[in-house]
Amino acid sequence: MTLISVISIIEKYKENNYQKELGTIKNTYSITIFMFLMLIVLSIQSIFIGVIDISVADIFAGNFHEINILLISRLPRLLAILCTGVGMSIAGLIMQQLCMNKFVSPTTGATISSAQLGVLVCMIIAPGAGILTKTSIAFVTSILGTWSFVFFAQKMKLKDAIMMPLIGIMFGNVIGGITTYFSYKYGLMQSLNATFVGDFSLIIRGRYEIVFLVVPLIIIAYIYANQFNIVGMGENFAKNLGINPNVVMFGGLSIVALITASIVVTVGTISYLGLIVPNLVALFRGDKIRGSMLDISIFGALFTLVCDILGRVLIAPYELPIDLIIGILGSVLFIGLMFKKLSPAKKIKVKQSKKIETINVMKSGEANA
Amino acid sequence: MKIVNLLKQYGEKKVVDTVSFEFPKGKVTSMIGPNGAGKSTVLNIATRLIPRDGGQVLFEGKDIKDWKNKELSKKIAILTQSNNIQMKLTVRELVSFGRFPYSGNRLTKEDWEHVDSAIKYMELEEFENRFIDQLSGGQRQRAYIAMVIAQDTEYVFLDEPTNNLDIYHSSNMMQMARRLCDELGKTVVMVLHEINFASFYSDYICAFKDGKLHTFGTVEEVMNKKVLKELYNVDFEILNMNNKPLSVFY
Amino acid sequence: MPESLNKNRNIVMILSVLSILSLLAYQFIDVNMKFFDYAMSIRIPRIMGILIAGICIGTASIMFQSVINNRIVTPCLLGMNSLYILIQTIVFFVFGATSIIVLNENILFIVSLVIMGVTATAIYGYLFRKTNYNVLYVLLVGTVMATFFTSISNALMRVMDPNEYDSLQDSIISSFTQVDEANIAVSFVFIILIFIAFRKEIALLDVITLGKNQAINLGVDYDKVIMKILMSVTLLIAIATSMVGPISFLGLIIANISRQLFKTYKHTYLMAGSVLVGVIILFMGQIVIEHVFSYSTVISVFINLFGGIYFLYLIMKNKGVA
Repeated sequence: MTLISVISIIEKYKENNYQKELGTIKNTYSITIFMFLMLIVLSIQSIFIGVIDISVADIFAGNFHEINILLISRLPRLLAILCTGVGMSIAGLIMQQLCMNKFVSPTTGATISSAQLGVLVCMIIAPGAGILTKTSIAFVTSILGTWSFVFFAQKMKLKDAIMMPLIGIMFGNVIGGITTYFSYKYGLMQSLNATFVGDFSLIIRGRYEIVFLVVPLIIIAYIYANQFNIVGMGENFAKNLGINPNVVMFGGLSIVALITASIVVTVGTISYLGLIVPNLVALFRGDKIRGSMLDISIFGALFTLVCDILGRVLIAPYELPIDLIIGILGSVLFIGLMFKKLSPAKKIKVKQSKKIETINVMKSGEANA
Repeated sequence: MKIVNLLKQYGEKKVVDTVSFEFPKGKVTSMIGPNGAGKSTVLNIATRLIPRDGGQVLFEGKDIKDWKNKELSKKIAILTQSNNIQMKLTVRELVSFGRFPYSGNRLTKEDWEHVDSAIKYMELEEFENRFIDQLSGGQRQRAYIAMVIAQDTEYVFLDEPTNNLDIYHSSNMMQMARRLCDELGKTVVMVLHEINFASFYSDYICAFKDGKLHTFGTVEEVMNKKVLKELYNVDFEILNMNNKPLSVFY
Repeated sequence: MPESLNKNRNIVMILSVLSILSLLAYQFIDVNMKFFDYAMSIRIPRIMGILIAGICIGTASIMFQSVINNRIVTPCLLGMNSLYILIQTIVFFVFGATSIIVLNENILFIVSLVIMGVTATAIYGYLFRKTNYNVLYVLLVGTVMATFFTSISNALMRVMDPNEYDSLQDSIISSFTQVDEANIAVSFVFIILIFIAFRKEIALLDVITLGKNQAINLGVDYDKVIMKILMSVTLLIAIATSMVGPISFLGLIIANISRQLFKTYKHTYLMAGSVLVGVIILFMGQIVIEHVFSYSTVISVFINLFGGIYFLYLIMKNKGVA
């Protein structure tokens, strides 16, 4: 089936990666085109997966009932998946570029958890509010959370690449703790849990359109891609080129926050997407932001779509929420990436600098204690 | 202690390639060589800190693999460069760990005598109740040496003992190594970066290059223009000072 | 030396008295004498739960920190408790809700513990060796693993037959107000067995803190000892998780408080201190929650909230200077 061809893509990446290591970079456009074709095939496939069978013939025959299902449920779902996949991946990419750290993403940068807090705040102060209000509040909180995290992390001038995601995760945990506390207090535990698990099965026409916000935001991101790249190179570097780093930084993070908020409100939480996709694409495409944005978008959409199809197929007629599928696949891939970084060739260098650093950390810790 | 055809590799790269030699007993031996020559690795393998991929390390005729760890620790002591302790530990407590191989956690009166004399030997009496992390680099290094003395072993291995020390403390350290050998009769083996220290304070030098043993011999045999040039790819001038070769490079 | 020794003994004394007082306070505050027996029948299991949690988490955290030579990491941050929940889910899944293993709570508990001991030691042992005991990598991978384990158990739970799901929920959901009563005695037996079986390794902790090279130099079979300590840590965490549910940050808080109180490397004191502090915090917290908040929240929420902040503070303190 189509899934097998997905595996073959992955194989192809690997192959390509090896070739890159051998110094013979193949024309990567062929991969981009191939992924795009896959995306189209799988998208069409996706529309026809579900409890009620829909056939192409029926639709062309003008079967009203089936066209309705298509328009009310299947098509919105597909669009939401595509927007989410592209949106989260690009959000992750922007954060990684701005922070110059490959392990930062909306999940590991407190953006998602602050957006969740926003949803909770909205449930408490305006229980019946529409989706627009919800998104705005989630946007405000997630932007505050992300800004303060990045500010905090930059103030500390972290030298260790691992520290930043670690602090982000803990930051997210603290915010999550606040969320849990209030949801206990107001008895919202259950409804919150239901909203937070990323799930496309509840997407129907009229309740998800806010996710389209992703489209203009991504266009903006495309336009400013180079600026993000430059700011990531360092404050002085940016100033030297006549760019105000703070403006670009805040602008970029705001785009991330808005993308995340609109997705958390409509779809729910999808962890790791923003972390995994840019890193996987970077394996065969390099780190230059503009050149890889298209690939990241397509691959992000493709990855999300595949995970969604898996979730629907595995235990049909029931389905597994996409958050769980990505949680499993994503964390395995993430750990794989980490271990790849620890591969013997680089190991010695990394280890030594780490060791010295840890020693310093401990010394200073003791001195204070 | 005898090393036979030692082999260690990381991936494809052979860090230590069929190295064989014997540490002369009751002498000071220095291991020198450019970065990545494998000298520290050999030291670490010889003292069982890291595993090897081939060859043998024979101690008193028996491979160190077949020794009981505890027995070995009464014969061999090793001091490495990265000692990050984040416990609240006083100098005296640190030195008392040197008696661990003999009595475990419960030290006897005799053990404490060893501890006290080691502290005295290293002139650490005034610091003995200070915490390790309150000491300067030189004092901390002396505290560790005191622990090794308390451990009361025949062999003492020091991995870059002068690392991070200033000139005064470095030369102090080297004199200490000499005294361990001359006064206490220990076999001392060190990895050194500073070749003139090796020349002035040791009896034998073991020169490594690219994972292989390049030259092993007395100080005079190693400290000459030809060998040093081959080792470091730099032109050396050898002067004579107090009957010891002194190398100068530029 | 003797001076600081006395001081440490005194601190242990004070902490013991405080923990007994808080235990008594928890047991007797606001008891309606008419329903004395009933009140006791509710409170005593909770007291047992708190004691078990304090002992397990307190000792395991100190042991773990010493092994990995770092004060900001505790076993729960590495997803050990999510692994335990996953194991229980898998046991349910494989054997089904009607098998004897699952029906008898004691057997289920023991089977899960054994599987936990083996798998967790294998997984985390591999992780440590692979990252060469680099704390930051271990921590990051561990946090991700927690997501991984939780996702798999959630996925399995969704696939499960609703009846199995219900009984699974009954058996794995526990908290300080919902202590797993059937296994209190078994837990205590296990704890004692663990401390007897691993007493030699635990006695080596003082030397272990000198670092890997020094420990080997002093004649410790490092890798073997580390594996055994790791195994006892995972078992202790599994027991705590199964009795009172996951409380990730408790270990971090109490281990560090204990290290602040006792300025020593001696693990006897550090572990005792950590246990006592843990017990005091849990009793006090439970009193406040039951009598002030009247159960409107749970203690783990507070602990995780403050623990997270405390963690950030520790990182900042350690890093900010550099």
